[in-house]
Amino acid sequence: MASDFAMGQFQFLKRLLLVHGHWNYQRVGYLVLYNFYRNAVFVLMLFCVFYSVIYTSVPTIVVGVLDKDLSHKTLLKYPKLYGAGHRHEAYNLQLFWITMIDTLWQSLVLFYIPLFTYKESSIDIWSMGSLWTITVVILVNIHLAMDIRRWVFITHAAVWGSIMITYACMVVLDSIPIFPNYWTIYHLAKSPTYWLTISLIIIMALLPRFLLKVIHQIFWPSDIQIAREAEILRKVTPNLRS
Amino acid sequence: MSSYTPSSSAGGVGSADSAAPRRNSKRPKYSKFTQQELPACKPILTPRWVISAFMLVSIVFIPIGVVSLLASRDVVEIIDRYETECVPQNFRNNRVSFIQSDANKTCTRRLTVTKHMKQPIYVYYQLDNFYQNHRRYVKSRSDSQLRDNSSWNDVSSCKPEDDSNGLPIVPCGLIAWSLFNDTYNFSLNNQQLAVNKREISWKSDRDHKFGNDVLPRNFQNGTLKGGKSLDPTVPLSQQEDLIVWMRTAALPTFRKLYGKIERDLQPNEVIHVTLENNYNTYSFNGKKKLVLSTTSWLGGKNDFLGIAYLTIGGLCFFLALSFTVVYLVKPRRLGDPSYLSWNRNPGGH
Repeated sequence: MASDFAMGQFQFLKRLLLVHGHWNYQRVGYLVLYNFYRNAVFVLMLFCVFYSVIYTSVPTIVVGVLDKDLSHKTLLKYPKLYGAGHRHEAYNLQLFWITMIDTLWQSLVLFYIPLFTYKESSIDIWSMGSLWTITVVILVNIHLAMDIRRWVFITHAAVWGSIMITYACMVVLDSIPIFPNYWTIYHLAKSPTYWLTISLIIIMALLPRFLLKVIHQIFWPSDIQIAREAEILRKVTPNLRS
Repeated sequence: MSSYTPSSSAGGVGSADSAAPRRNSKRPKYSKFTQQELPACKPILTPRWVISAFMLVSIVFIPIGVVSLLASRDVVEIIDRYETECVPQNFRNNRVSFIQSDANKTCTRRLTVTKHMKQPIYVYYQLDNFYQNHRRYVKSRSDSQLRDNSSWNDVSSCKPEDDSNGLPIVPCGLIAWSLFNDTYNFSLNNQQLAVNKREISWKSDRDHKFGNDVLPRNFQNGTLKGGKSLDPTVPLSQQEDLIVWMRTAALPTFRKLYGKIERDLQPNEVIHVTLENNYNTYSFNGKKKLVLSTTSWLGGKNDFLGIAYLTIGGLCFFLALSFTVVYLVKPRRLGDPSYLSWNRNPGGH
């Protein structure tokens, strides 16, 4: 993490540390985990430049730049919230391994569900690959969407836009006769099985993660979680002193 | 001191510089984007949202699961595995030499219809343990040659089936060379049952991938025949068996469409199949099956989607109920400061 800053007056140190330092830590911690996940999920499939650059990197950047968990007013008023950084709450070994196990589960779901759905059928290799590709893109974007804490217009555009651009690219690429996957997406889109398989994969892959998130937030809420609830639901800068 | 006013985070707290004389301010222009004050939606997982989410999933998934399962159960399928039974007894120990010899390969099978089958009834051949998805197999074709007569010489990607006796093969490649060549003839009550072999391939393939001016040339002319021979007077766009075969399958157990029977079949009818057991799957212990199947809106017979949807729907319903109980039994007031770590442990960390 970058840690060299210059400022003109000592009074700016407070905001730098408590507001921007906090946001910086939360964002970088989350993004490191998310990028491990995003790349590992794709390991099962053929490497594709489009995936990393066009289909899924824009939402990552947008979230990294714009997402905030708490407002600067709350952070300045209650410096103890900065303790989340001291306690390594956004990125630690346990979180890393949980992320990896979750990634493994999602990859298995992603790979095996189309296999079971289409076993002993007449599906061809290009259609199967097309299904895997689009599902991976939708899955990692919805995974990200589940974790975004502040939705602005640009975030919506980046996340849903990526999915739509992926589809648009597939439609364009599948309209060129010299490519082997010619007409694949048109053929698949007419089949209800295709759409049902995609929905099943998304829900099944993300269910454990969602469940864990909910359970964690009920029984072991973090300080940031409570501060966020107070800030958003009470609509006032919360009185976090006891 | 310094005469600069560096970019203090101006978010609402403007430093009053009305008293200062006009100086070159380095403060960047204020905009909602750069100060991260865009209007935002900040979702929180309240109990209402959690329970609603799970209920929504279960309300959507359970009916879909039921409908899918019913559709799959409606499909009637007759599967007949014949590659072992169609080898005469005396050749059973040496099936590879049988299939490569000139012996009579005709075989008769009997299929009994169990339930009423509505037309069109699809006739498939199913192969097991045949890896059409092997990387080198998939690459062994020349799409430009298939599409265009002028590219008949473009065989570089087709090795080892690129040329024979010095001349290029059209269509070249392993995929075309291994074209399936068992044939099936159906009769019912001593009457021939017609099988429609037109329009069994993708229309986009017939129109754009296989040229109507490309004729087979020098095909299956080598020392080892891999499969079916093609009529050299029929252009590739009308060779539908080839087109279906060249749509390489994704999995090692796959079906390919052979034709369609366009009349209903009643229960307890017996269909006699006269088949030519030509294709060599014995070298790699593959299985050959003849499949007659109706279809539903979901495709062929596959209970998996129905069962999976029902399972997930049921699980989500159970979770919705559990969380309702949890929220009632052990509620946590959202945003309550008494849960903060420094309020729970006044001694501090």
